[in-house]
Formats: sequence, C-alpha cells, structure tokens
Amino acid sequence: MVEMVTAYVIWHDFLRYLIFYPPVYQFIIIPGLIAALVVAIFIIWFERKAAARVQMRYGPYEISPRTGGATQLIADLIRYSFQEIIVPRTVDAAIYFAAPVAAVILSLMPLNAIPLTSNPAFWPIPMDYSLLVAVALTTLSPIFVIVMAWASNNKFSLIGGVRESFIVTAYELVAVLSMLSVAASMSTFNLVDIVEAQSGGLWYGLLNPPAFLAAFIATLMTTSGFPFEIPDAESEIVAGPYTEYSGLMYGLDMGAAYIKRWVFSVLMALVFLGGWAPYVPGTGFVLGYLVPSLIVSAKALVIMAVMSFLRAVYGRYRIDQALGVAWEILIPLAMAAFGVGLAEAYFHVYAHLGVMAVAG
Amino acid sequence: MAEASGAVALPGMEVRQLERNLYEVYIGPAHPGSGHMRIIVRVEGDVMVEVDPDIGFVHRTMEKLSEGRDWMKNIPLFERMAILDACNVTLPYVEAVEKLLDVDPPERAKYLRTLLCEINRVASHLYGFGIFGVFLGHSTLYMWAFGDREIFVELAEKLTGARLTHSYPMFGGVRRDMPDDFGKHVRKATAYMRRRLDEYAKIFLNNPNIRSRLEGVGVIPKGRAVEMGLAGPNVRASGVKYDVRLAEPYEAYDRVDFEIPVYEEGDSLARAWQRVDEIRQSLSIMEQAVDWLEKHPREGFIHEKFWKTAPPIYKQVYAGAVPYAGKYRVKMIPLYASLRVPAGRSFARVESGRGEITYYVESDGKDTPYRVRVVSGSFRNVIAFKYAMPGHRLADLPAIYGSFDYFPPEWDR
Repeated sequence: MVEMVTAYVIWHDFLRYLIFYPPVYQFIIIPGLIAALVVAIFIIWFERKAAARVQMRYGPYEISPRTGGATQLIADLIRYSFQEIIVPRTVDAAIYFAAPVAAVILSLMPLNAIPLTSNPAFWPIPMDYSLLVAVALTTLSPIFVIVMAWASNNKFSLIGGVRESFIVTAYELVAVLSMLSVAASMSTFNLVDIVEAQSGGLWYGLLNPPAFLAAFIATLMTTSGFPFEIPDAESEIVAGPYTEYSGLMYGLDMGAAYIKRWVFSVLMALVFLGGWAPYVPGTGFVLGYLVPSLIVSAKALVIMAVMSFLRAVYGRYRIDQALGVAWEILIPLAMAAFGVGLAEAYFHVYAHLGVMAVAG
Repeated sequence: MAEASGAVALPGMEVRQLERNLYEVYIGPAHPGSGHMRIIVRVEGDVMVEVDPDIGFVHRTMEKLSEGRDWMKNIPLFERMAILDACNVTLPYVEAVEKLLDVDPPERAKYLRTLLCEINRVASHLYGFGIFGVFLGHSTLYMWAFGDREIFVELAEKLTGARLTHSYPMFGGVRRDMPDDFGKHVRKATAYMRRRLDEYAKIFLNNPNIRSRLEGVGVIPKGRAVEMGLAGPNVRASGVKYDVRLAEPYEAYDRVDFEIPVYEEGDSLARAWQRVDEIRQSLSIMEQAVDWLEKHPREGFIHEKFWKTAPPIYKQVYAGAVPYAGKYRVKMIPLYASLRVPAGRSFARVESGRGEITYYVESDGKDTPYRVRVVSGSFRNVIAFKYAMPGHRLADLPAIYGSFDYFPPEWDR
C-alpha cells in the first residue's frame, strides 16, 4: 500500500526531518543560532544595565522606558545589519570574508555534540563520547580569529591576532583538563550519564570546585571577557583582530565571541551545574526536549550573566600577566582538579552517594 | 628613490629604515588610546624599545592670536587650552597683567580665585582619573569619575555662571561674587567627595587587577624627574616636594592650611595615589576658603580702580538694594573694553591641575599684548613618555599615558 503524499505529509516530514531533526534543530534553534542570538541580545542588555547600575547611570533607557530600554539592542542589531561593509583595498578579500563566517559556524559546532535531554530520540549524535567531542570541537574556531587578523593586513589586527594565539594556547589546556576531570571522576565521557549522575542535587561544581573555577576563568580568557579582554583591548590596539571589519562582518566577529561564550556556558551548565538535573525529561517533544533544554539554557544564562558582570569590577590584565595566570595558576589548578576527579573515582564517591553513573 | 642608507628626505616627511625585528606602530592621532596626539612606538615583540611622542595635532596658535586681541579678550582665549581647568590656566595671565597695571586685587577676590582654582583642580584630576580608568578598561572608574566631576562643574557653574569656560579671574579681581548659599553646596560636595574617594580606592586603586597593572610600571626616579623637568603631581609622585602654591604662594594660598602630598615610588600607582591625596587637600582648601568668605563681609570683589567706573546700578545690586537674578551678583565692568596696559614685561606662574603653568607677558602700552608666552604643565610632562615607556610592554602604554594625566590641547595651545 502506497502512502498518500498529501500536503500534510510533506509539511509534517519537513518539520520532522528538517526543522525538528535534532542535529539541525540543535544547530539552528535551541541552543544554536537563534537561541544564541536571543541570549546575546539579552546578555548585552543585561551587561549594559548591570554595569550602568554600578556606575550610577541608567544604561539603555530612553528608547523604551517601560522595558528598560531593551529594544535598544534590537535597534543596534538592525543598524549593524544595514551598515555599509567597508572592505579595505589591502585585505585578502576571500579569506577576509570567509574567516568570520567559518568562525561563527565552527563556534556553533559543539552544540551539536551535546544532549539536552536523556531521551535518546532527541540526541543529535550518539552520546558515548559526547563530552570529548564537544570539548574537542570548541578548539576549532580560534584559529579563524588568527586568520582574520592575518587577512586584515593591519598592524593592530596582527598584534591582536598574536595575542589571541597566545591566549588560545594558554587557556585551551585549562578548559580541556577541567572539563575532562569530570570524565575521570565518573569514568565516562557520556554527557547524559554525567548529567544523570548529578540528578541527586550534588552537582559536580560542588563536588569539584577547582574544576569549575578553572573552567570559568578559562572561558573568560577565551572569549576575551574582563579582566582578560586582551586580544581586542580598545585603548591599546583599537579592536584587535577585528579592526578592519565593519557592519555585519564586525557583528559576525563579535557574534562568534558571544557564541563561544554561550557554548562554554552550556557545556559548564551540563558538566558542573547538573544540566536539566532537578527535572526528569518525559516523553514527547515538549516535555522530553523543550523543557530540559530551557532549563539548561537558563543555567547557562546565569553563568554568562556572572561573566558579564565582571566588566563592571575589573580592568584588563596585561598579556604577560594573563599568560602568567594561565600557566602558573590555572594549569596547576586544573591539574589539581583532575587529581580530585581521579580521587573521587578511586573512592567511588558517586557510587557511595547512591548514583550509578556507569554500569560496570 | 630609496637609498642604501635608508634615509630618504621627502618634503615634510622623513622615511627611515627600521632595524631588523622592529615593528613600528602609530598610536594616534585618531586612536581610542591616544587623545589628540600621536605616539610613534617601535616594538620588538611586545616590548617597546623606542617611543616618540609626536605632538602638535591641536595647535591653535594661541600665542599669536593673543597678540591681535584686547587684553581682556585673551582670557577666554587662553581658557581654551584646558577648559576643564579654566581658572588655573588663565590665572597667571591675569596676575601678570595685574603686575603691569600695578593693581592688587582685594582680599575677597583672592579667596574667590583660590576657591575656583581648587574646584577646577578637583574636576581636572577627576577627569584625568576617568580617562585613566578607561585606558585600563575599567569602565566603572570612568563613569564614576566623570559623574562625580559633574558636582564640581556644577559648583563652578553656581559660582561663575558657566560650567567650563568661566573667564572668572579678571584684572583686579573676579567677575562676580559668590551666591549666598554657596558655602552649603561646597560643604556638601566635599563631604560627598571624601566618601567617594574611599570607594575609588576600593574599586580601582586597591583592586588587585589594577594594582598589578600599575605597580612598578613607568617608574621615574627622583633624579630623573628633576632632570626631565617634570611638573605638578607627576614630579611630586617621584618624591620631589615642589609645588608653586608652596614655593611662591599666590592669591590666598599663604593663608590657607594645606599639605603637599609626596610619594617616593614614582610609578604609575604612585601618580594615581598622588592625585587622590591632592583631591583631599583641595577639598580642605575649598572649605577653608568658603569659611573665610562667609565670615567676612562683602567688601568688593574687584579693585577700587575698576569698581569706581562701574555704573551706579551695579553698585546698588552689589549692595543688595536692587533685586536682581541672584542677589549681590554683578557682571562684568565696562572699563575693560578699552583697557591699555602700561609698557613692560612681567611673569607669573601658578600650580594648575597638571603642573606649573607659566606666562610671560610683554606690553608696549597698546590695547593688545605685544607678546604672550605660555609654558604649561603638560608640555613639561610629555617628555617623560619618551623615557618612561621603553622597556615596558605595548599594553603598558595606556597605563603610563593615563598616569601622567597628559592633556594635549594644553601643551599644543
């Protein structure tokens, strides 16, 4: 019997296999591009409002006093989108355009390697080594920042690019080590198992605070958040690697940094803050996918908000000081966190707490 | 046409070959960290080996312009050197001309000038702090300093009627007397600012992040500071107790009680603390000046020689007999429009927010000056960039630049 091809079937299949197909859905909608955009708008608004509060001013306000000036960010976004893109004659045009696009796409990639629910129907990929894959994918995009700097053919860009490369080599080991200490502790790379193990309320961030702290600072460093806003330090090297970019291309550059921060925040929410933990995902799209993904997003949003708030407290470190922090303090800290993880595995901490993360 | 030596002379421009491994970076003149000047930096890796402050981008030929203007009209002109420090910048000109005219302003005018000078000094230091903060990426200090500066700008407005370009000191006195309730506002402002300075220390000067950026950066030893002829807070932060207010007291400075803070370290952090301590002293001077002014009756704010030419209505307003927009508050005296200054040469100096500022005035008896020469504090400090910066990293450039509180329009004139 041949199934009738009706408009309903086409529409249903379109939604089922193209929009709500987890690899696509997670890349494009939540927690991918669209969620990241919404989060970026919210976080920039929050950053400006929170900093304004500390600094005795209003921040965005006049454009819509009732919403606290929230629409200001939409207006800014529109302005960026329609601004003329000026391409200096001296740049290597093909790479100049390709690099930011590649950076944005590659920044989003790790979101396709993470689970947002324990329901296997909504996993984008098999989850056995998801933590390893996700952490590995986060290391791809920084190279394109350096490519941007090189293609821009500008002294400030080049200095920014060199700084970025120094920072990347410093933070990556810290981020990877601190994230993977959870794998050591629970003897699994499976993010679903890791989240399930934390469902008792004892989050890994509480069980191994050094790992959380190291991952937090490493994220600040990679996404050039204060006090590590070094590759694009305005008063020293204009906009660093992004100096020659304008309009939407500059928006993409900034977007890539925000997406990277968002990705790390989502990963940290899963690994250290128990993911969708208090909630037990049910069946069906809404209860099994949407709700847990929103819980994870909310936790990630809190991490991002804390990171943004640091802008109001700190100035920026010098590059050698930041590298000193990374190599002399953070890497030993991450090593210690890894040791704590191994010790927890040795003493079966999670098993004692009544959680069987891994069978066998 | 490139030559083997590497030095090619083009009109108005010199091209020279850099040594191997050097990289030349132009900070400015249109750069978020430069102000209205250019700093040519040659870096080896990340370390600056040669720093060349290239000034002159806001030169406005003030000395020449002054030769074509009436004596009086030069006051608003010279203010444009540093509008945020307007009273300090114009005061030595007024004093120099007063020496030529042989008039000594009344006591009350001296205190009023002292008061505005200190208000300006606080505002100017806060401005410098704000720029310093934003150079180090510390947006909170930037906003705080600029927000709090507003208080002192408003105090100046209450006193003179203008926020920035007050044109307050005039030959033989000041432009107007202070309002009745001015003392109240001053005391409120000083109490507030003292509290705020502690908060500045918490968020900025004692912030471990900022301390690590400033401590031991841009050190200028005492001997070097003297050798380079630095001025103002920068030389005092290097351990030299030199202040015009102390060395050669002018106006009411010999009758108010204040200390000159001195730091021995000579690094960027010391220069920042130096300014905090100076703000404290200025607040105290402001209070003393306002106390004196309130205790003493309004006995003329301008020399009798000029006051006697004022129309009767002015005298009635000043006596409080005629209600006017602001009791006792009289505006400019018409005599000044045709003022002729006797021939002669004179010289005066004051301590401005950025260091000693010196005027040499020469008159040939006409209604315009023959020559006015200005040397400002910023001019004397800019040379330090060349010697304090090499050896530090490029990222230290804003940390050192900001700590000197350099103000290009003041030097370029």
